[in-house]
Amino acid sequence: MAEYTAKKLAQMLITVIGVITLVFFTLRLIPGDAASAMAGDTLSGEALQVLRDQMGLDEPLLSQYLGFLRDLAMIDLGETITTRIPIADLLWRALPITLSIAMATIVLSIVISIPLGTLAAFMAHKGRNWLDNGLTGAAMLIDLMPPFWTALVLLLIFSLGLGWFPASGQLDWSNPGSVALRLALPVIVLSLSQVATLARITRTAVLEVLNEDYVRTARSMGWSELRVLFRHALKNAALPIATVVGLSFGNLLGGTVIVEFIFTIPGVGNLLIAGINSRDYQLVQTLIVLYALLFVVINFATDLIYKTLDPRVQF
Amino acid sequence: MADLSLPATPTRKPGLLAAGSAIARHRFLSHPKVRLALVLLVPIILLTIFAPILPIQKPLETNLRAMMQFPSIEHVFGTDKMGRDIFSRTLAGVQVSLLVGFSVAGIALVFGMVLGTLAGFYGGLIDRAIMTVVDIFLAFPSLLLAIGLVSVMGTGMVPVILAISLADVPRFIRLQRSQVLSLRSRAFIDAARTVDASQFWLMSRHIVPNTLAAMLVAASIAAANAILVEASLSFLGLGIMPPQPSLGNIVRDGQTYLEQAWWISTLPGVVILLIAIGLHFLSDGVRELLDPRSR
Repeated sequence: MAEYTAKKLAQMLITVIGVITLVFFTLRLIPGDAASAMAGDTLSGEALQVLRDQMGLDEPLLSQYLGFLRDLAMIDLGETITTRIPIADLLWRALPITLSIAMATIVLSIVISIPLGTLAAFMAHKGRNWLDNGLTGAAMLIDLMPPFWTALVLLLIFSLGLGWFPASGQLDWSNPGSVALRLALPVIVLSLSQVATLARITRTAVLEVLNEDYVRTARSMGWSELRVLFRHALKNAALPIATVVGLSFGNLLGGTVIVEFIFTIPGVGNLLIAGINSRDYQLVQTLIVLYALLFVVINFATDLIYKTLDPRVQF
Repeated sequence: MADLSLPATPTRKPGLLAAGSAIARHRFLSHPKVRLALVLLVPIILLTIFAPILPIQKPLETNLRAMMQFPSIEHVFGTDKMGRDIFSRTLAGVQVSLLVGFSVAGIALVFGMVLGTLAGFYGGLIDRAIMTVVDIFLAFPSLLLAIGLVSVMGTGMVPVILAISLADVPRFIRLQRSQVLSLRSRAFIDAARTVDASQFWLMSRHIVPNTLAAMLVAASIAAANAILVEASLSFLGLGIMPPQPSLGNIVRDGQTYLEQAWWISTLPGVVILLIAIGLHFLSDGVRELLDPRSR
C-alpha cells in the first residue's frame, strides 16, 4: 500500500507541474501580451508599461515561470491586478462556500441514489420491469437536462413561485439555517445529475451481484433479502460508486460555477467569472490551477479508496 | 428428414455491395432508437434550415409594440423585453448549436484518430510524449478548461469551437489509443505482417476501419456535450455574445425577467433538452447497430 501510494503521489506531482506549466504558457500566448489585453484601449504608453512591470511581463520567460512555480509552492498567490486584494483572502472566503456545495452534493446524491439504484435493480431482478424502466428512463432524462436550465426552472418554481427558498441575499454564517436554505437549491440542482449517474451505476452493480451464485447460496441459508443486500450486493456496489464519484467530481466543479452564477453565491466560480470579465489574468490563472488541483487530488483520493476497497487492484 | 446442410454462403459479387449498403440503410432507419432520434432531430434541423423563409419575425428584429408577450400563434415562444420573437431567436440559436456540435465532433474525431493511432501503433517515445500531454489536459475539469481557454482566446464562434475541441481531443486520443493497442496484438494484424504489409497499409486498412465504430459513437456523444458546453459558456457570458442569438445567451437574457416572462428562459432550454435526447438515442442506436453484442 505504501509503495502504491508513493507511486500515485509521484504521478500526481508530475501532472500538477504539467498543469501549472500549461496554464502559465497558455496565458503567454495571448496576442500582444496579458497587460495590453487587460488594459484594452484604456491605457497607453507609460501606464501600460507600469502594468507590464507590475505583472513582471518584461522579465525573461524562464524567470517568470520559475517565479510562478515558487510563488505557488510557497502558497503566495499574489494580489488581484485590478483591485489589489490578496487572492489568498478572496479564496479564504470563497473556497469554503464552493467546497460546502460540492461536498453536500456528493453526500446528498449518494444518500438518494443508492436506495434508488438498489430498488431499480431489485425490481428488474424480480421481473417488475415497469418500475425499473421508469426509474432508468427518468435518470436518463435528468442526466440530459442542461444544469443552468434545470436551475432556472427550480428557481422559478420553488423560489419565485412557492417562496420556499431565498433566491438571493447574503450568506450569514452565524445563522446556519439560513445558509442551508440559501444553498439548498444549488445543491439539489447539482445532485440531480449526480443521482442520475450514481443510481444507474448502483443498479448495474447490484443487479450483477444479485445473479451471482453466492447470493443464491445466502438466500438458501435463509438470510433475509435485506441482509443479502447489505452483506453482498451493496458491498460490491461500493467500488464502482466510489470510482464514479471521483470521476464525476470534475463535472461537479464545472457545475458549481454555473449554480453560483445563477444563485449569486460568492464562491470560487463567481470569482472566476469576475476575473475573466475584468481580464485579471493573475486571478484567472490561480483559480484554473486551483480547480485542476482539486480535481487531481480527488482523483488521487479515489485511487487510494479504490485500492483500500479492493486490494487486488494493481495499477 | 430435416435439412442439415449449411445455408449457402453468399458469394460477394461487386453488385452485392450496393445491395448491402441498402440493407444497412434499412437496418439503420428501422432501428427503434434511431427512429426516435430522427423524429426529434429532423424537424428541429428542418425548422432551422428553413427559418429564413418561415413567416416569423427575424431573430434580431425588435417590435416595441409587442414586448414580453405570452406565447401565442403569432409568437410561438413569446417575445422578450425588446419585442424580439423568441422562437425565431431559438432557431437561430439552434443553428449555432448544431454548427458547434458538428465542428467539435469533427475536429475531435480527426485529431483523436490521427494522434491516438500514432500513439497506439508506434508506442515508445511518440506514445509517451502524446500521452503525457493528454494526461495533463485530462487533469482539468472539461467545462473549466473550456472557460479558461475562452478567457484567453476571447468570445465568439471560433474560439468557442476551438476551446471545446481542445477539451475533447485528449479523450478521443485516449479512446483511439486503447483501441489500437488491443487491435495491434490481434492475429489478423500478424497475418498481414507476415505478407509484408507496410505500416501505412496496416493502419489504414486493418486498424483504423476497426476503430471507427466506437469513435463514431464517441463523436455523437461529443456533439451533444459540445452543444451543452457552448450553451453553458454563452449562458455565463463567455461564449457567443449578444446580439447574435445562441441558446445559452437567450436563456441568460431571460433570467432577469424570470418572474414576469418565464417563457424567455425556459422554452429555449426545452429545445436544448430535445436535441440532447435526440443525440443520446442516436448514439445509443448507432452503438447497438455497430456492436451486436451490446443489444
